[in-house]
Amino acid sequence: MDSDIEMEMESDNDGEFDDDYDYYNTGEDCDVERLDPKRADPEYFEYECLTVEDIEKLLNELVEKLNTILQITPSLAKVLLLEHQWNNAAVVEKYRQDANALLVSARIKPPTTAVETASTSAAAAAQLRLSSSSGYRTSSSASTSSLTTAASGNPQQQQQSQPQRRMCPVCASTQPNDKFYSLACGHSFCKDCWTIYFETQIFQGISIQIGCMAQQCNVRVPEDLVLTLVTRPVMRDKYQQFAFKDYVKSHPQLRFCPGPNCQIIVQSSEICAKRAICKVCHTGFCFKCGMDYHAPTDCQIIRKWLTKCADDSETANYISAHTKDCPKCHICIEKNGGCNHMQCFNCKHDFCWMCLGDWKTHGSEYYECSRYKDNPNIANESVHVQAREALKKYLHYYERWENHSKSLKLEQQTIDRLRQRINTKVMNGSGTWIDWQYLFNAAALLAKCRYTLQYTYPYAYYMEPGSRKNLFEYQQAQLEAEIENLSWKIERAETTDRAVLENQMDIAEKRRTTLLKDFFPVIVKT
Amino acid sequence: MANMAVSRIKREFKEVMRSEEIVQCSIKIELVNDSWTELRGEIAGPPDTPYEGGKFVLEIKVPETYPFNPPKVRFITRIWHPNISSVTGAICLDILKDNWAAAMTLRTVLLSLQALLAAAEPDDPQDAVVAYQFKDKHDLFVLTARHWTNAYAGGPTTFPDCDSKIQRLKDMGIDEHDARAVLSKENWNLEKATECLFS
Repeated sequence: MDSDIEMEMESDNDGEFDDDYDYYNTGEDCDVERLDPKRADPEYFEYECLTVEDIEKLLNELVEKLNTILQITPSLAKVLLLEHQWNNAAVVEKYRQDANALLVSARIKPPTTAVETASTSAAAAAQLRLSSSSGYRTSSSASTSSLTTAASGNPQQQQQSQPQRRMCPVCASTQPNDKFYSLACGHSFCKDCWTIYFETQIFQGISIQIGCMAQQCNVRVPEDLVLTLVTRPVMRDKYQQFAFKDYVKSHPQLRFCPGPNCQIIVQSSEICAKRAICKVCHTGFCFKCGMDYHAPTDCQIIRKWLTKCADDSETANYISAHTKDCPKCHICIEKNGGCNHMQCFNCKHDFCWMCLGDWKTHGSEYYECSRYKDNPNIANESVHVQAREALKKYLHYYERWENHSKSLKLEQQTIDRLRQRINTKVMNGSGTWIDWQYLFNAAALLAKCRYTLQYTYPYAYYMEPGSRKNLFEYQQAQLEAEIENLSWKIERAETTDRAVLENQMDIAEKRRTTLLKDFFPVIVKT
Repeated sequence: MANMAVSRIKREFKEVMRSEEIVQCSIKIELVNDSWTELRGEIAGPPDTPYEGGKFVLEIKVPETYPFNPPKVRFITRIWHPNISSVTGAICLDILKDNWAAAMTLRTVLLSLQALLAAAEPDDPQDAVVAYQFKDKHDLFVLTARHWTNAYAGGPTTFPDCDSKIQRLKDMGIDEHDARAVLSKENWNLEKATECLFS
């Protein structure tokens, strides 16, 4: 940067930020800032880093609390809490309103009581509510007759078949009655089949979503039955791990640290797109989406942007051509066959592959989507021109995004050089190590500002044109100018006066905070 | 595990063999190899449908984890149906995917497929082209489905008009099956089909 311009800017800024300058240097005892950090710092975020044990304890406490209120088994309480985002009050309220409806909606009970399994299982279902974990076992002899008829030709059937034996409809072998287990729905299968079934499901990564084996029955298998029957330690561990993951994911106030092999779970009562830093692996990430922190851009937009930017490989092309994100949980789905009626593997949301609309509201509107598929280039004429314009726009933002990303890396080298330079200075007796510390602070602040600046580009890219965008881009330009100014001064630290440099730091940080205050979507203006 | 799959399949095989449906010749099942991992099913087109009189052959692959995972089923006989791919024979049926339950059997699968032929689900289509025709030009759909049944599944009704159009395209050097597929897609409009093939 030319030094003349630089001087000009400096004086400009001095004029404009006189108040701020004084505010920062004299306002040590300004208690507004201390009392309400939320107002002073748009990125202020309260959170805790917890270990798996902490979280287990926390979840168990919630489960226990519900147990004592409703007098139900822990396993049932877990299912109910999972279905209600771990909101104890909501579960209790729904339970008091209509316990039956609650159990049906949580898939503990079948929607209508099965006709064939008359008195015993109905009683068992009632028992289930009153916390009997032994409710899964059917010792009934009432329903055997309908099942044994089909077994007449079974080679494995013993000649001396006793009245207490019956055939399992899954493995087709005849076994004593006490080997059979059933859920609230009354569908009864032998112990071995349940066990193998559970293991197959666990192997596929399904844990708390395991359902009954009967046709058209979606009653959920509670944790305690699975853990009673699955005895192989490997499978038990897997089940518990998957279940724990599902519990954490269903809890809105918890998020796994995305750091590699990091076991930490971050908890915050404020569910927003702010930066959490793991205290163990020091990974910084957005609390809401778990990706790299991305203020002022919001989670959806940064996701879109990053996918777009991954364009340097064929992967991105493939992903955009063959996959779509689940409209509910945003997991990436590849369609490898089948019809347009999709069910998300992760969250079980039903949607249309073509338009991503909810399938329930979809029905006969399907054909809109079919037309879209058959004839995607309506108004083909201008498409080329539009595409070219779009590309130009994209490249404008991408180049800047990429440039700042590179600068961030280069400035890491600057810091290393800075350290060497300070070392030499200290050795030569010009100042002590402490005297030069402010340079590191400056470099850290520079990195912080540049990081935010980098993430303003995706935000601007997806903004609708208008006065708000103009304002944003104005502020962005101001921030960029101050950052380059700061960078220039840090690189020439020897010839720059310390006060001037610190002034520049304040200005840059102030610009950054102003921009975030105005545009960072999670800020609640008080 | 595989052992259970085999014993289950053996029992189901017998169940199908003894069932009423086999007496009525509406479903059939036979082995492809000795290891019981692949079977061939056959279902008769249900009466009062465009598939009446046809015999539809199915490929049934039994996974190791059967019956805890569904069998893999597809149509070998080509068929014109909204829920079945006219190209690959892939089937869109919930019980063959997420709604499979270990208590279901080959017999229930075959009967469900037969029921699917009788009651298509055009709102949940596998083949968008067929589904479109089913809803928008139902008469043409019935004609096309009946013609395909005749051409591939031994159905009784012949359609000289269709055959002559296919012959016209064959004369231009087009494969018979391709010609039929394109004409069916283009609602038997020879001009459009030709345009589609040569553009």
